[in-house]
Amino acid sequence: MEGHQRNLYLYERFNARVLGVSRDDVLTLKYWAKGLDLSFPLLSNITAFLGVSVGAQPEGQPIFGRLTIVVDKKGIIRYAREGSPVFKDILLFLKKLNQEGGKP
Amino acid sequence: MKKKVLTILFLLVVSAWLAGCATPGSSKPVPYKLTPQGMVIWEDEYEFMPPPPDWKLLRVEDESGDINFGFTHDDGGTFPSVTTMAYDEDPFGCSAGFESREREFFKRFLFNAILQFQVLEKKKVQVVGMEGLQVDVEGKDPVRGEKVRARVVFGKRGDRVVGFYITQWRPIDNAYDLSIFGAFDKFVGSFKYLKKSFYEML
Repeated sequence: MEGHQRNLYLYERFNARVLGVSRDDVLTLKYWAKGLDLSFPLLSNITAFLGVSVGAQPEGQPIFGRLTIVVDKKGIIRYAREGSPVFKDILLFLKKLNQEGGKP
Repeated sequence: MKKKVLTILFLLVVSAWLAGCATPGSSKPVPYKLTPQGMVIWEDEYEFMPPPPDWKLLRVEDESGDINFGFTHDDGGTFPSVTTMAYDEDPFGCSAGFESREREFFKRFLFNAILQFQVLEKKKVQVVGMEGLQVDVEGKDPVRGEKVRARVVFGKRGDRVVGFYITQWRPIDNAYDLSIFGAFDKFVGSFKYLKKSFYEML
C-alpha cells in the first residue's frame, strides 16, 4: 500500500485511481491507513463478495489473497496479478492504457 | 612507481573481492564492472566507490523483482557485532519532502527489532549533487540486550526520495566503532547516477 501511495502522482498522470479492499473492519483499516499515512480510500469488505467476484479469495480460506487488478472505464478487468504488486509493471500498463484512451 | 604498483594492487584486491561476491556456478553475468579508477559501475545505472575488501556484497531481490544492494561487515566480537550499509531506491514512507519522509521512515526502519530511536544529529548535506538530509540515530533493545547506531541519508532522484543507510549493531554494553562509518560516507559521497530512473523516463 505504501508503494501505491508513493506512486499516486503517477497514477494521477495516467488518469488512474487506486482503491484498497480488505476483509478487515473499518476501524482496523482506519488505524492501519493512519499508520502508513495513506491518503487513498480503503474499502472494508467483511462479507468478501468483492474479493470473491474478482477471484482474490482462495476457496475455503477466510482471507483475501493479494491480487492487483486494473479496471478500465467500462468496468472490464484489464490487468490482474497475484502476489505483491509489481509497481513498474502496473505503471507501464497504466501508461499504455492511458495512451490507448482506455482510461482506467 | 610505488604509487602505480599500489594502485594496481588495490584494483586486483577489489577485483578479487567482487569476484568472490558472484554466486559460484552461476552463469548469470554479474551486474557490475570496475573502472580503472577503482569505481564500481552497477548495472550501467550507478557509479560508486566500493567499500574495502573486507565488506561482503549483499543483493536483495524483492518480490517485485527489483534489486537492492548493499554491503555487510563482520566487526568481530560478540553477536550482534555487524555493520551493514545499503542504497535503497524506495525507502520506507511516501512523502517527497525530507522532513515528512524521515518521520515516516523511522516508523518502520528496523521494524523486526523493538527499538525506540533517539535522534542524535540531523543536518542538511549534499548527496548525489543535490541537497539531502542526514540523520544519525541510536536505538536500544534492553530486552535482547542489543543496540544499534545508524546513519540515514535521504537524497533525491528526480521527484522521488532515495535513501542510503548504515547500521551498526552491538551488545548493549559494548562500544561502537564509528570509524567503520567512513566507508559509508565515501560510498555516499562518490555515488552518481549514470542515467535517468525508470520513474523519470515514464
